Amino acid sequence: MNDAALDRIFRDASGRIVAALAARFRCLDLAEDAFAEACVKAVEAWPISGIPHNLGGWLYRIAERRAIDAIRRQRTRERLASEILPYDTPVQMAEEDDRAAIPDERLRLIFICCHPAVTTDARVALTLKLVCGLSVQEISSAFLLTETALAQRLVRAKRKIAEAGVPFDLPRPEDWIERLDAVLTTLEIAYAKAHEDAAGASVHAGYASEILEFTRVLAELLPNEPEALALASLVRFSEARRPARLDDHGAMVPLSEQDPAHWRHSLIVAGDRYLRSALKLAPAGPRALQAAIHGTWCARGSLARPPPWREVLALYDRLLEFRDDAVVRLNRAVAVSEVLGPQAALSEVEALAQEGLRIFLPFHALHADLLRRLDRLQEARAAYDAALALHPTIAERLWLEGRKKSLAIG
Amino acid sequence: MQYMLLIYEDERVYGPDKNGPAIQEIVGKHIAFNKELGAARVGGAGLKATTAATTVRTKGGAKTVHDGPFAETKEQLGGYYLIDAPDLDAAISIAKKLPVLQDGSIEIRPLLGGM
Repeated sequence: MNDAALDRIFRDASGRIVAALAARFRCLDLAEDAFAEACVKAVEAWPISGIPHNLGGWLYRIAERRAIDAIRRQRTRERLASEILPYDTPVQMAEEDDRAAIPDERLRLIFICCHPAVTTDARVALTLKLVCGLSVQEISSAFLLTETALAQRLVRAKRKIAEAGVPFDLPRPEDWIERLDAVLTTLEIAYAKAHEDAAGASVHAGYASEILEFTRVLAELLPNEPEALALASLVRFSEARRPARLDDHGAMVPLSEQDPAHWRHSLIVAGDRYLRSALKLAPAGPRALQAAIHGTWCARGSLARPPPWREVLALYDRLLEFRDDAVVRLNRAVAVSEVLGPQAALSEVEALAQEGLRIFLPFHALHADLLRRLDRLQEARAAYDAALALHPTIAERLWLEGRKKSLAIG
Repeated sequence: MQYMLLIYEDERVYGPDKNGPAIQEIVGKHIAFNKELGAARVGGAGLKATTAATTVRTKGGAKTVHDGPFAETKEQLGGYYLIDAPDLDAAISIAKKLPVLQDGSIEIRPLLGGM
């Protein structure tokens, strides 16, 4: 049993166990510390005793004892200790299935981590840490922060949750929509970070798979929430295309040029299933429409078939009714350029320049492409330079440079 | 837990010295809100305009007295409620019902030792 395998086990178990401990003791720090101590104990014990059959139950039981000991040690918390249950009640140590042995409190933990009273950035980090079990090192590299800065952000967020009195219960019905939206938005931001890295370098690749798992769990816990199902669908469609996002030289491949033969079929099937379930529950909301856009692409099947620009444009028109922002308009303009021509798209894109998109790389990339198609090569070159100045990833840089070079030839 | 709800609005909407007709309207709304709060209300009051404010400042041990509020801002502290709520979500839903005449912000602050 090597360290990497143990890390994997701990990470897989962490969300469930930390959630159960947090719900029981109503303290995130205590839950995290107790789980970490149980992992230390496992590293000592398992090489000798072997991995227990019910390893989740084993970890939970040790962590629970550590938490109760910690509470008992802290005199100031004596009142709390007298209120909690004794050791032996909740976890049966028989050879039971973990799922029955540990109460599933992950949904509560998700709602705590994604409370709108916590700043958005901290919500994302806290969720990845506590619910997905990612390490501070992994999260800090995804967010381009130092480990110290990220750790401070996590400490501040947990302190806010404790001091402001964020409830450890599920949201009340009247708060449900707002709180669920905060959860879904947090996940969207977390996934966008994982998606940025087309190359899927080790750290981020693992992280995208965590989001796949997380959205699966959320859909399972909230089977009647269409937008939660839609998000699970969206992430699957998007991840399905990961193997086709780079060419042999490591350059980005735009969606319409990706070979569907390289897409991951199993994820597309799963994405379809989630989207159909979502649409059975309610008319499409913003996330279902986004999933449908991705799903339309994923249904292409072969590069020989024409790209589905008309359907995509129609879906973007509907999405605008929910989310009329500059990024949606920019994405829609790509479809406009294919359906109505580059000139029609250009005026829409140039109108967006005023809306803070000047620092957004895809804005310049699309602007350049439209100018190229209109034979305004000098301006196209300047627009590619503007995109290249915005710190593209390696894959984006190679793609942009290739496009810029093609101007000289054409 | 006990929370302070601090009400920030542009006090100009209530007229000079908060004597305009708008004040009648908002007072009526606060009376209704108070009734709805019931036992959750621990205390509260509206404040006179910042033109009536005086600030005592301590700097390097010396105390000086100044005319006006602590900080000049677009929205001013205009009143407060002290409430008892089981958790932040409950406090937020009370704050959402708290009447403001036009634009405004309600800052929710848990009391030190207010568990």
